[in-house]
Amino acid sequence: MPLSIHANQASLLFAIALGAAAVSAQEESPRAFLKAVAQPFLDAHCVRCHGAEKQKGDITLHDLQAGPAAARDAERWELVLDMLRSGEMPPEEEPQPDGGERQRLVAWVDRELRARVASQAAGDALPTTRRLTNAEYHNTMRDLLGVELQLTDNLPEDPVRPYRANNTADFLLMGLEQIDRYEENARRAMASVIVDPAEPKIHRARQSWAIEEQRYMPDPTAMQRDEIGVFGNRNRTVANGMRIFEWPETGAFRLRIKASAILPEGVTELPLRVMLGHDIVGIGASDLSPAELVGTLRVKNRVDEPEVYELTGRIENFPSKPEHRYRRGGKIDGRLVITPPHFTVTALNVYDDGTLNDRPDPLTMPRAVVEWMEFEAPVFAQWPPAHHARILFESPLRASDPRAYVRAVLERFLARAFRRPVTEAEVARYEQIHQIVADELGLKTLEASMRETLAMALVSPEFLYHVEGRGHPQHELACRLSYFLWRSMPDAELLELARRGELRDPKVIAKQARRLLADGRAQEFVRGFTSNWLSLSKLPAVPINLERFPRFLYTIARGERRGQEIANRPTVRDYMREETFAFVAELIRENESLLRVVDSEFAMLNQRLAVHYGVEGVMGHELRRVSVRPEHHLGGLLTQGAFLVGTSTGTAPHPVYRGVWLREAILGDEVPDPPADVPALEESAGETATAATSLKDLLRIHRTKESCRDCHARLDPWGIPFEEYDATGRFSRRVPPLGGRVQGFDARTHKDLEGYRAYLEELSSVAVDASAKLPNGPEVEGVAELKRYLLEHRGDDIARNLVRRLLSFSLGRRLGLRDRFVVDQLVRDAAKNGYKLQDLIISICQTDAFLGGDPK
Amino acid sequence: MTRKTFLLDRRRLLRGAGAALALPLLEGMTPSALAKPEQAKRLVVTYMSYGAYMPNGPSGITDLDKPHHDWSWWPCRDPGPLTFNKSAAPFVPLKDYVSYLQGLDHKGGHRLGGHSSGDVFATGADMADREKTNNISIDQAAAKVHGHKTRYASLVLGTEGGTGSYGHSKTLSHRGPGRPIPALHRPREIFDRMFRPYAGRDLGDVRRELACRRSVLDLVLEQSKDLDKRLGRADQQKMGEYLESIRDAEKRIERVDRWTHEPMPEVDADGVRLDVTAKQPEEYLRCMYDLLFLALQTDLTRYATFMTESEDSVSNEVGNYSNYLFGYSGNTHDISHKRPDVISGKWDHWRATQHAYFLERLRSAKEGDSNMLDNTVVLWGSAHPHQAHNTQNYPIQVAGGGALGFEHGRLHRFVGPDKVPLANLFVSMLRSVGVSAERFADSTGPMTELRRES
Repeated sequence: MPLSIHANQASLLFAIALGAAAVSAQEESPRAFLKAVAQPFLDAHCVRCHGAEKQKGDITLHDLQAGPAAARDAERWELVLDMLRSGEMPPEEEPQPDGGERQRLVAWVDRELRARVASQAAGDALPTTRRLTNAEYHNTMRDLLGVELQLTDNLPEDPVRPYRANNTADFLLMGLEQIDRYEENARRAMASVIVDPAEPKIHRARQSWAIEEQRYMPDPTAMQRDEIGVFGNRNRTVANGMRIFEWPETGAFRLRIKASAILPEGVTELPLRVMLGHDIVGIGASDLSPAELVGTLRVKNRVDEPEVYELTGRIENFPSKPEHRYRRGGKIDGRLVITPPHFTVTALNVYDDGTLNDRPDPLTMPRAVVEWMEFEAPVFAQWPPAHHARILFESPLRASDPRAYVRAVLERFLARAFRRPVTEAEVARYEQIHQIVADELGLKTLEASMRETLAMALVSPEFLYHVEGRGHPQHELACRLSYFLWRSMPDAELLELARRGELRDPKVIAKQARRLLADGRAQEFVRGFTSNWLSLSKLPAVPINLERFPRFLYTIARGERRGQEIANRPTVRDYMREETFAFVAELIRENESLLRVVDSEFAMLNQRLAVHYGVEGVMGHELRRVSVRPEHHLGGLLTQGAFLVGTSTGTAPHPVYRGVWLREAILGDEVPDPPADVPALEESAGETATAATSLKDLLRIHRTKESCRDCHARLDPWGIPFEEYDATGRFSRRVPPLGGRVQGFDARTHKDLEGYRAYLEELSSVAVDASAKLPNGPEVEGVAELKRYLLEHRGDDIARNLVRRLLSFSLGRRLGLRDRFVVDQLVRDAAKNGYKLQDLIISICQTDAFLGGDPK
Repeated sequence: MTRKTFLLDRRRLLRGAGAALALPLLEGMTPSALAKPEQAKRLVVTYMSYGAYMPNGPSGITDLDKPHHDWSWWPCRDPGPLTFNKSAAPFVPLKDYVSYLQGLDHKGGHRLGGHSSGDVFATGADMADREKTNNISIDQAAAKVHGHKTRYASLVLGTEGGTGSYGHSKTLSHRGPGRPIPALHRPREIFDRMFRPYAGRDLGDVRRELACRRSVLDLVLEQSKDLDKRLGRADQQKMGEYLESIRDAEKRIERVDRWTHEPMPEVDADGVRLDVTAKQPEEYLRCMYDLLFLALQTDLTRYATFMTESEDSVSNEVGNYSNYLFGYSGNTHDISHKRPDVISGKWDHWRATQHAYFLERLRSAKEGDSNMLDNTVVLWGSAHPHQAHNTQNYPIQVAGGGALGFEHGRLHRFVGPDKVPLANLFVSMLRSVGVSAERFADSTGPMTELRRES
C-alpha cells in the first residue's frame, strides 16, 4: 500500500531511529551532519533530477551549502522536509532511501528549522499592513455607518488567484484610481448617512390587480390578471410589476405585497423573487435592463388565506436613473426612452422543479396570486434616523459649545472608523479639516461640513488599512477576530473587551469566537473563505453544452439569444454555489469533523438540486440538511456541482482540472502552472491524437512524452476517478458517445418523462473509465474508492491543508517558516479532538500567532 | 547575477521625465496654448489573448517548404509585400497601413509561462527574475512625458476590469513596479468619466472643491507619514503605495483645475450603445473600440491600452465568446490548447474584424491633410503564439503612424541572426510620439526596418 509516511507515524519512526542510530542527530554539529549525512543523501537520491544537469520543477539541491538553520536556504530545506515526509519524493519508480536514513534526515531538518525559528528575532515578522479587501470594505462601511450601501461596484475588482486567500498584502494594491473611487464612495455614503433636519416628503405608490370578468378573458383557461406563472404570463398583468413614478434620492424603502399561491398537489411553497429597477418583463423590456434583487418571498399560504409580505432596502442601491437607457442609435447624451422616468417592482415566480425546459402547461405549475403591492420611501422610525443620530448625537453641547461638540463628534466617529482609541492630535487634525471644508467650500450647516469631513476619514489609511504594531494590541486582536469571522469591524462588545484589556485571555477569545460564529455575519467568513479556498469563480462561466445537456439550465428557447440563461432567475448552477457554502457552514455549525469535506452522510439540498442529483422527496426552495445513501453517490465536497461543473469543459469532465483541484484544494499541494514551451495536448500526442477516443486516452499519450510526464503522472490520476461525474456534476457510469447530440424532452417523441428516461438510457452507450493508479498509492476505481483511500491514508494532509488555509486567512498574510510549527501543533491537537471544525477555528484564535506577539 | 544595464537606462528615462514634470514649465500656460500648435501624436496598444492560429511550422513561423495556411493568423508566408489569406482578410482595405512582424518577443516573458506573459506585453519587464512586480508600460512611459498636454494622461481599458493579480494581469498598463493601473470595462462608466467629468455641476464649485481637496490631502498625507514611521520595512512599503497614490492625487489637482477652464469637447457618439454588456460579444467590443476612438478623436488623451481579453478569462463572459459566437463547445482558452482548424481561424478572423473596425474608424477620420490613423501608431498582438504555453515569437501587427515615420505594407521576419527584441519596436514607437527614449526594457536600439530614424 501507500509509501507515504505521515506526521504521526513520522514522529514514531523518529523515536525509533534515534534509538537505533549509533550517533544521534542531537549530538552532531549541524555542519558535520550536513557534510556527513545530509549532502550524501541528497547526492544519492535527489541531485540527478534536481542538480546541475537537470532542474526539474526549477529546483536544485546540489548547491545547498548551509544547513536549514541558515537564512539563505531555509525555504529549500522546508521543501526537502515536506517531500520526504509525504513520501512524494523520490518518485516511486526511483530507488528509495531506507526508512531509517530518511527519518534521520527528516528529524534533523525539522530540528534545525525549529532552531532557526527559535533564534529568529521577532522583528522579521511577515508584513501584515494591507488595505481592506472590497468585501471587508463593504461590510465595514455597513457596520460603521448603520446603512448597507452598494459601493464596491465602484471599486476595481480585487485580484483573485485560484486557491489563494485574497486578503494577503501582495494582492491588495493601491493606486490613484482607487483613491478617486474611495473618495466618491465616501461622499456618497455620507450623503445617505447624515440627513438634513427637515423631515423629508414621503413618496408612496400602490397598485392592485383583480380577476377579470369572464367576457374580457380571451381564453378562460389562460393566466389571470393577478397571477404570476413560471412562464406563460400575459401582458398588462401583475407579472409586469408595479410602476413607481416618484422616489427620494436617498433613504430606506418598504415594499408590501399581499400574496398567496396556487400550488399543485405535493408542492408546498413558491419562491417569489422581488426585483426593483427597470422593466424586466413584457414589451420593450430587455433582460439586460438593470434591476436588483430586493428579496425572495417563500409563499406557502393558499388563495383563501392571503398574507401581506414585507421587504425593505435602501433606494440608493437600485438602478433607478432613467438615463440608464437610451434609444438605439439615438444621441448618447440624455435622450430617454422611458417617459416619464419610473422604477418597476417586478415579482418573478422562480419555482423550478427541473422541468421548465420541457415547457409544461404553465397552469399545471405553481402560480402566485398578488392582490396588491405598496411602495413607501423613505421609511423611518424617527427623524433624524438612527444612523444619523449615532454620529450627530443629541447633546446640549451642540448649542452651548459648538467647537466642543465638533470634537466630541469627531472623537466618537474616528475611534469607531479607526477601530481603536484616537489621540488628541488626530482629533485636532480632523477639526482642522472640518474648519477648512467649512470655510473653503462655504458649507453653512454642520450637517454639510460634517459629511465632507467624515468622508475624508473614510479615505484615510487608518480606515482603509489594517495596521498592526501601533500600541493597541487589544484592539488589533479585536480586529483580527472580527475580520476573520465576520470580515468586518469589531462590534461594541469586542471593542469594550479590548478597552478593558481582557480579550487576550484564551477563554475570553474562545467565547467571543463562538459568539461571532453564531452570528449571521459569519456567513461572510464562510462565503469569502470558501470561494477563495475552493476557487469557485469558474463555476458560473463554464459554457454548458446544451446539445448534450438540454435540461440542465433553464434557457431561452428560441430566437437570437436561444440557449442563453434567462436573466434574473437563479438556476441549478447558482444553487450549487449555495450548496457548497451551506455545506461548509453546516460543518462549522455542527462542529463536524473536517474530514467530512471528503465524505459525509448528508448533503445540503433544495428541490432543484435534489432533482438534479437524483435525490427524491426534497421539496421547496430553501437548502437544508438531507441524509444521503450510497446509491445517491453524494457526500463531501468531492461530489458537489460547484466543484464538478467548474472543473469540466461544459461538455465533458476534465481530469486535469479536477486533479489540480483535488491536489490544491483538498490535499494542499501547490501544482505549478504548466511551464513555458510545453506542447499542446494534441501536438504532444502527434499522429495518434486522432485515434484517442477520450481525454483520458489523450492524457495517457501526453504522459509518454518525458517533458509532460513528470507533472502529469502526479496529476492526472487524481482527476480520473471523477470521470464518473459528468460535466453537470451528475453521477453517470454510462454516457452518450462524445459529440453525440442529446434531445431535450419532447412530449411527441418521448410521451412522458419515463419515456425520456428510457431514451437517455438507450443513448448512453459508452461506459466511463474511472480507474487510476494513484501516485504513491493504490489503484482506485471511481470516487467511492478514492474517498476511502483519502480518508484512510491522507487524513493528516487534508487536515494540514485546511489548517494552513484557515490560519493564513485569519492572519491576513502568507504563512512563514515560524508558522509551520504552529500548524503542526494545531493539526496534532485537531487529530486528538476528532478534527472537529468549529473547535479547530477556536484553537486558531487561541494560538500565539493569532493573539499577537506582544505578550501584554 | 549579471548587471543589467538596460534597467538603469530606463530609470534614467523616467527620472528625466519626472524632472520635466516637476519643472514649473506649466506655470501660467493654459492647456490650449500648449495644445494648439502641436499635432497630436498617439500611441495605442491592444492585446488579444491566448495567441493565434499558426499552423505549418514550429512556433508559428511557416516553413518555407509548406504552403501558407488559409486560416493562419499571418496574412502571408513570405517576408515582403503583404498578401492576405482568409484569416487576415479584414485588413485588406488597410493594406498600406499595416505591417506584420514575425519572430519578436520579450525576453523577460520567456520563463513566465504562456498565461503569465501577457503581464509584460506592454512592459517587457523581467518578471520571472528581477522585476517580479512588473515595471512601467510603454503607454505610461509616453504619458509621463507628454500626458500633461491632454485632459487625461492616458486611458486604460480592458474587458474584465481591475488589475488582476501578478501572473494573471487584467490590464496592460503599469505606472512602475507594483503599480498596475486598473482597466475600465463598463461602457457607461467610461463614457461618464471621460465626457462628463463634472456631472453637470457648477465649475466654480468644482474649482473650489479642488482647492479644498488639496489642503485636505496635505493633512491626510501628513498624518499618514506619522503612521509610516512606526512600521517595519515591509509594512512601510505597503503604506508607501498609499502615500504615493495620495501624492499622485495631489499632483493631478493642479492639472484638473487648469482643465476646468477649457470647454469639454463636443462628442458625436451616434450609435454607441452604452448599455451593452459583455454578454453580446460584437456589440460590446465595438462599443469599447468606439469609446477609445472618441477619446482620441476629441484629444482627451493620446495614449491608451486595451486588453480585449486577459490570459485569465476562464471565469469571465469574455472567455465564452467562442461559444456565444460559433457555438464552440469550450471557452477561448480551450481553443488555444486544442487548436481546432476552422474554429481557430474563425476566431482569429472575428478578432481581426473588430480590430480592423477600429483602425478603419481612425482612418476615415480626417485630420489635417491626412487622417487620424496616420497620427496614431497602433500595436496589436499577443504574448502567446500558436502553441499552448510557448512564450516566444508573438503574433505582432503594427498599424498607422504614417505621419510619425512608420512605413507599412510588408511582412517582416526577425529570426535566426536577424532576431531582435520586441522592445526595439517600443523604442521606435516611443520616439515616434516624441519621447526621446534610448532604451526600453531589453531593447538594443530602434527598429529601423519599420521606421526610419531621421
